[in-house]
Amino acid sequence: MITTRRNTLKTLGLSAGATFLHPIVSRLEAQAAGKPITAKRFVFVVESNGVKAQQMAPEGVVRKERDQKPLNGPDSFVDVSLTGRKLPFSLEPVSAWKDKMTIVNGLSGRICGGGHSNDHGALGAVPGGRKGPAEVQETIDAALAKTLPGIFPHVGLGISKRLENNVVYSISAWGQGKKLPIICHPLQAYNTLFGSVADGSARQEFIAKNNVLDFLKDDIKSAERGLSTSEREQFGAYLETFETLRDRQSKLNEIKHTLREKGPVASDKYTSKVETDRLDAQFDLGAAALICGLTNVLTISSAAGEQDFDINFSGLGLKAGKHHYGHGGGENGMTYLGVYDMIRRYHFDLIAGLCKKLDAVKEGDGTMLDNTVIIYLSDGAEAHHSRCWEWPMVVMGNMGGKLKSNRYIDYPGYAQKGHRTIANMYVTLLQLAGSSRTSFGMADPALKDFDQHGPLAELLV
Amino acid sequence: MKFPHFAKTPVFLMATALAGSGVLAQAAAPADLKFASAAESKAEYERVVVPFFAKHCNDCHNQKELEGDLDLAVLEFDMKASTSGARWATLVDLLTKGEMPPKKRTRPMPESVAAVIRWANAEAKRANRHFTRREAYANGNKVPHESLFNPKDIPPFAADPQIRRISPEIYAAFVAEMKAKSRLGQPFSPSGRTTFKDMGTPKVDEPVTAQLLQNALSIVESRTAHKLEGDKVVGNLTKEFSALFHPVTPPSEPQIEAAIVHQFNQILRRTPTDAEKTRFVALMKKNIADAGQTVGVRYTLATVLMLPEAIFRMEVGSGTPDAKGRIRLAPREIAFALAFALTDKRPDAALLTAAAAGELDTDAGVAKQVQRLLDDPKTEKTRVLRFFREYFGYDKATDVFKEANGGGSAVDHPGHEPRALVEDTDRLVQLILEQDKDVLKELLTTTKSFVAYKTAADSKKKIAEAKAKFEADRQKDPAKFKDKLFKPQQKLIYESYGLTDFPDVQPVELPADQRAGILTQPSWLVANSTTFDNHAIHRGKWIRERLLGNVVPDIPITVDAQLPIAPEKTLRTRMAVTQEAYCWKCHQLMNDLAYPFEQFDHFGRYRAAEIVQDLEATALNVDGKGKPKGPVMKGAPLDISGLIAHVGDKSLEGPIKNPIDYMKKLAGSKRVEQVFVRHAFRFWVARNEAPGDAASLQATHKAYSESGGSMKALITALLTSESFLYRIAAK
Repeated sequence: MITTRRNTLKTLGLSAGATFLHPIVSRLEAQAAGKPITAKRFVFVVESNGVKAQQMAPEGVVRKERDQKPLNGPDSFVDVSLTGRKLPFSLEPVSAWKDKMTIVNGLSGRICGGGHSNDHGALGAVPGGRKGPAEVQETIDAALAKTLPGIFPHVGLGISKRLENNVVYSISAWGQGKKLPIICHPLQAYNTLFGSVADGSARQEFIAKNNVLDFLKDDIKSAERGLSTSEREQFGAYLETFETLRDRQSKLNEIKHTLREKGPVASDKYTSKVETDRLDAQFDLGAAALICGLTNVLTISSAAGEQDFDINFSGLGLKAGKHHYGHGGGENGMTYLGVYDMIRRYHFDLIAGLCKKLDAVKEGDGTMLDNTVIIYLSDGAEAHHSRCWEWPMVVMGNMGGKLKSNRYIDYPGYAQKGHRTIANMYVTLLQLAGSSRTSFGMADPALKDFDQHGPLAELLV
Repeated sequence: MKFPHFAKTPVFLMATALAGSGVLAQAAAPADLKFASAAESKAEYERVVVPFFAKHCNDCHNQKELEGDLDLAVLEFDMKASTSGARWATLVDLLTKGEMPPKKRTRPMPESVAAVIRWANAEAKRANRHFTRREAYANGNKVPHESLFNPKDIPPFAADPQIRRISPEIYAAFVAEMKAKSRLGQPFSPSGRTTFKDMGTPKVDEPVTAQLLQNALSIVESRTAHKLEGDKVVGNLTKEFSALFHPVTPPSEPQIEAAIVHQFNQILRRTPTDAEKTRFVALMKKNIADAGQTVGVRYTLATVLMLPEAIFRMEVGSGTPDAKGRIRLAPREIAFALAFALTDKRPDAALLTAAAAGELDTDAGVAKQVQRLLDDPKTEKTRVLRFFREYFGYDKATDVFKEANGGGSAVDHPGHEPRALVEDTDRLVQLILEQDKDVLKELLTTTKSFVAYKTAADSKKKIAEAKAKFEADRQKDPAKFKDKLFKPQQKLIYESYGLTDFPDVQPVELPADQRAGILTQPSWLVANSTTFDNHAIHRGKWIRERLLGNVVPDIPITVDAQLPIAPEKTLRTRMAVTQEAYCWKCHQLMNDLAYPFEQFDHFGRYRAAEIVQDLEATALNVDGKGKPKGPVMKGAPLDISGLIAHVGDKSLEGPIKNPIDYMKKLAGSKRVEQVFVRHAFRFWVARNEAPGDAASLQATHKAYSESGGSMKALITALLTSESFLYRIAAK
């Protein structure tokens, strides 16, 4: 036991008086019985308005913004150990996990098209944003969710610049034309994930819901019988949804103790008008969802997507939306780059919080964090007006040592030998998850002489 | 390789052949087929593909016949060295779906089709060209215009029974009517694959049902909200519901039944059948026993909102087929269909009464109800304006991000306010509908316009006040105001229309040599623009499809569709890249139709010249240290000439001089009018037109033209047509 129960719960922001957790107990039992820990989790943290490549290099590494054209960088691969190097300002909050992280510069994503946001293209490695609105395609979080199914296959949480947007469909998609929800209202997220055990009537609601789902299943089945084959399709699809929901109920029932005990406590932040409060709350909910075993794939959208990208972080003392800083406007004595750094640092504070919570839960020989990969990126690639010539990312966690970490790496310039794209990053994640897929999204036609398949070999051990 | 269920599962196979994922691609191209070089690929191509083409394809797709503009002899096998990838993708698509060779030709062996597809996939992989295509939206124009409007050759009627989920708007109206206290999430979203949003039969999936259930519970909670005062139930709930929550006496069976009947009437606009009563009473009793009174009651009442009938629109028909094999929709189905055709609300009492009284059994009875609804000022016909919004697409102006919106250094039209532009065009459409005469012609040629009509008077007043104050302040302290200019707070929206002030009377007449109809309204021009430019391709595509009734092929994904960055060149010059032979096949259908709109800038302002960068002057524009001071712009002469061609209607084809003549020419065309009718059909019948709808379409067009261009006449004809009211039962 690496920490006391009381401390664990405190870190998790969990209800007082909770007993030690059921899935963790199961995991410990599994461990005791000599069974391997097979858990794998992925978290995407997507922040709008671009991540500046020149701000991502650690101390002692000079990295300039690359030109928006082919051959915009060196022909060699940069690989620098983080040992003994200070992280850049915005990443400092995660310094404690430096040995488990990789800062990745130099990937491109030209196929996405660019713009203020690449929308579903960012996680899909397909045209989006400026080239859209094409039909959305499967995004990487969804592809991973299919490989690592959970009670909730995919949990999407986030914030929108508009308070009234409870749910947006801005960044993730299950497949062609099927956008996934990003729940922007923490209270709604709480109800969806933990509502079944939220209060005293939870058990009653749970049973009533089961009764209703069973009733409707029967009702739709009998209505279906009166229809000819061609008309049945619609009802058949509707019926299937009830079967899925009923099945989820059973699974939630199995872990109800965990949900009661590990579920977060609703706070004022859930309904706050301040966007940073809501994002804090979403990180709490996301952490709890992972720890309770509700899902293996979590996407946290910090106002990603064209409709939200110019959100104003008033909670950080800023008065203007991100669009202002994107166009070079400064504030509070900071240049626009300073504001970029400050907002990103706030996100890494939250990521650090998530790491801390996961790291506090023992799993196998290590902690939950060891079996989790957190990927930070922007739907706006490298800039406010992204063109996707480069696409900085940060990878936290090494998935039980399968990823080389403790490094800053920088791929050769666009169309230089050894250049790689975000699609290769996504294939890397897929293969880590156990998928045998060798390509993802759409190939960049301008890189037709490049092998765009396969993972980033430089990341894998 | 075995190709299971070849004909039966085209959807699966399409995914296999076309999806970009490696796993799927491997399924179609097994590990044994992998080409290390062009030579290897060529060998397999010659072994498998060439004989297949010779046997099944070359008769039509050769240099002489050029069917579908495709000469297979010059279709490069090498997808890496050529741009043939997109055409191969199309070919694989057609082969997979079994659409080629045409049905009347000898069917090829499934094994040989599979071998061709396998080769194409392996070659695509070698070339790194993935056969992913943008999802083709099912464009109704694919049915040739002539086959629909030939009065001498009317194919027999055909229409399948339809079951469709309700639209997001109908659901929103229902929720509003239910007065739920909390904000509810919208469970539905448009499929995005159809001309209009509410068309076709998108399937309900699990997130949708989960949201529906959550909403149903919220609605019921609001409608049964109450407090207990002693043993009294206090709250704004009906007596049927309050009886269910009595704290001492559990509800009796008759009380439960009364509440179920009440809920059915509220939610489904009908009383439950005896069987339904029995089942729901049993459910409520069980729920109360299992989950307590409050929870049990609420969950049971919410169940009514989840019945298929509450989620789906049933247009299946009832009764026995007539002599033509047609089954008329049931009266209740017609009542709902009419209500949802014109509004987002469920049928009103008069419509339900008419249905119950058998008045909807005749077309005259239906026409009477349609006219009643159209003429009734109290019935808000939200769907009629929505048709014009979706048809013209001018409401998308608010989706186009202009730098003017958000500040920064690139603002060149701070008066840009897309929401107001859309409202102005909405109002213009409504005005033309109020007059209901030559509706399409007016829409395409009117010189009338509203100008920020909702806020113009207010803005004008505030600006005048602010200016007066500014002048007064200046007089008091001339030194302080020496270099200050008056800057109004309000957006000068009138600049988008080329005016110098907010007009006092609306609508205004805009100069007849500058504007003609919706397509010259700033809203439409902005909707078809980008952040920095006009979007000639979208404009051309819109006219090609929505007025001329032709088909523009989907953009092949292997085309990297980007214009060069060359700020010193006009848009027309930059678009020269699309004239490369391969691109031009499609772009000839769009570019020339759009160039006349170069008369306007990307904010929709009329202009005399296009502003481009002056490279020489920019190079010289440096400070003392030689540091660039920024771009210098200059005016480039406009070329607004265009061309109507490839329509299949000689009366329309020919060169165009300017947007005004252009609009007049289109507005005078019978074909354009018919294409408009086709779109109205799609919107109101909620599916693409097929040859079997020829009679309905012709009758609708006749009603429109004989009524002098009345939209009411058009709608009435459509809603009484056999395509709307009848189905052919499945055998």
